[in-house]
Amino acid sequence: MAWLSDFWSTYNTLVYSIGVHAMLALSIQITLSCGLLSLANAAFMGIGAYVSALLTLTLGWPFPAVLAAGTLAPALLALLIGAPVLRLSGVYLAMATLAFGEVVRVIVLNLEITGGPEGLNGIPPSTEGWHIALFLALTVYGLVRLARSRVGRAFEAIKEDEVAARLMGMDVDGHKLFAFTLGALIAGLAGALNAHYTFFISPREYGFESAVDILTMAVLGGTSGLLGPILGASLLTVLPEVLRFLQDWRMAVNGAILILVVLFLPTGLWDPHRVRAWLRRKRREEKA
Amino acid sequence: MTPMKPLLKSLAIATVILAAAPAGAANLRIGIAEALSGGAAQYGTPIRNGMQLAAEEINAKGGVNGNQLQLVIEDEQGKKEEAINVFKKLIFQDKVLMIFGPTLSNSMFAAGPVANASKVVAFGTSNTANGITDIGPWIFRNSVMESDVLPVTVASAVKHYGIKKVAVIYGNDDAFTKSGYDVFKAVLAEQKIPVTTTETYVKGDVDFKAQLTKIKGGEPDAIVCSCLAEEAANIILQARSLGLRAPFIGGNGFNSPKLFDISKLAGDGTFVGSPWSNANPAPVNQNFVAAYKKKFGAEPNQFAAQGYDAMYTAATALKSIKITDDLAADRQALRDALPKVTLNGATGPFKFRPAAPKAGKPGGFDADQKPFIYIIKGGKFTLYTGK
Repeated sequence: MAWLSDFWSTYNTLVYSIGVHAMLALSIQITLSCGLLSLANAAFMGIGAYVSALLTLTLGWPFPAVLAAGTLAPALLALLIGAPVLRLSGVYLAMATLAFGEVVRVIVLNLEITGGPEGLNGIPPSTEGWHIALFLALTVYGLVRLARSRVGRAFEAIKEDEVAARLMGMDVDGHKLFAFTLGALIAGLAGALNAHYTFFISPREYGFESAVDILTMAVLGGTSGLLGPILGASLLTVLPEVLRFLQDWRMAVNGAILILVVLFLPTGLWDPHRVRAWLRRKRREEKA
Repeated sequence: MTPMKPLLKSLAIATVILAAAPAGAANLRIGIAEALSGGAAQYGTPIRNGMQLAAEEINAKGGVNGNQLQLVIEDEQGKKEEAINVFKKLIFQDKVLMIFGPTLSNSMFAAGPVANASKVVAFGTSNTANGITDIGPWIFRNSVMESDVLPVTVASAVKHYGIKKVAVIYGNDDAFTKSGYDVFKAVLAEQKIPVTTTETYVKGDVDFKAQLTKIKGGEPDAIVCSCLAEEAANIILQARSLGLRAPFIGGNGFNSPKLFDISKLAGDGTFVGSPWSNANPAPVNQNFVAAYKKKFGAEPNQFAAQGYDAMYTAATALKSIKITDDLAADRQALRDALPKVTLNGATGPFKFRPAAPKAGKPGGFDADQKPFIYIIKGGKFTLYTGK
């Protein structure tokens, strides 16, 4: 029992991070499922983190209100910038959203209220394990329902062929904006939760590097379903801790594992087609 | 013979065994959480080296009251979540007595509260940001804050050159250079030195001619620079190529022998303040420099010296307490013993100074130490001793 409590005390932050990273990977999975390569999610996470942390530190709002504000603020912003930005597609959209992330980072860097490059410290640890578990479960549930709904089918159609979808009379722009905003909403919530268990936030955590990290989690796990991004986020979060015994070689081995996964499983860790094919083969072998 | 005697005898033996058991077998586990990979490794690695060197010396001389120091070293990569994970591993899994680190102030802001809440000492040797010790009474640092170094640096330079007005340049997107600038600004206001212009750049910039041309227009007597070594070298070289002859006054980022290797004679006349001096002739320091060179085959720097002194500070505190097998009690005893330590180490005489309580909460302990002031001559750091 004492061992278990020590284990939990040691690794609870890591478990929290898995949950938060899973939410981030899902937030980019939504836009990807609609055929949008948006790299703005790190910035949306940052906005959620800063808005919530500032409300806690300066106005002393209660935690539920803080979470709500941290979730809604980036979603509102996504709604505003979405209309012009989403006219772009492919790499151009990636570049525009990346530029948006840089703009957010530089603004935060130069504002007085955000503490500039020194960031904000002394954020009370209000986030508890069950908050993250609950919100992750809600996110997954919502996305499962969404995938099976009219909107989900529309996302699929837009991803496969935008022109065909438009010709069939679908509101392509409306659906894209919805996916973009929903992604921002989830990323903002993840940011708000993250800020309230790490005591400290600074602009450099929400820059280019973390935008790429979030994309890597989703792509590594596989973007054809919801399980993929969660798997990818878990692996990328746990791997550096598991490899800690390797000491100096840790990050090199970490990188090597990622390269091997990408080389041998190019569609990601979790690919429903591959799993189904594998199950079929196994059944056939059993019969034979 | 009375029947009491054998009983007394066995009691005495039992007492001896009881007393000897914890003292003989105990290893004092000390956690080290420094950035050993990533960008901050340039600071974290010498810190770890300095600590290893000190621990080896202490163990070779019989340890602390017969107990050997056992270091548990972990890489925190200079990232806040890694720092929290490492702190938790050291506290709950390795059950260390105290933790040295983390390397960056940002990481301390994230991991410090964990140590403070778990009642374990977190001892930073390179955290210079304001507010670090506001985290709580379990937070210690022996890194001298910029606000203690820069007033002396500026005052020495002003006296030496008879400075009337200065120009300022700093990196505005980095926590370290920005907080250095804030201190410079306050110091210049306090010493009533007018600023002709304040220029900024961002990390990674390589061309500073626009800013330097503007600075040249104001004809300052000196240029105050809160920059990291990478940018500082370019700034110095480009200033000279524009014909700007005014000397530089540098922040902590200038404490890099490499900087003046690159800038060669262009950097001559620069004033820098540092908590440590390679040239400090005190035997402790000379022994440290020689031992470090022998063990690691490299010149030590300020960070190594502060790591080295930190380990001796902790050993001095450990010497004054009695190690029981109750971890919580030992951690508490160590925490209570640390503020009383005074040390004459590689960085000179050192003691702790309690941080002012903030909002009624007790703070931790800052360094109370005089900085060394250098002037660069012939591309080398030379101790400045007045005109």
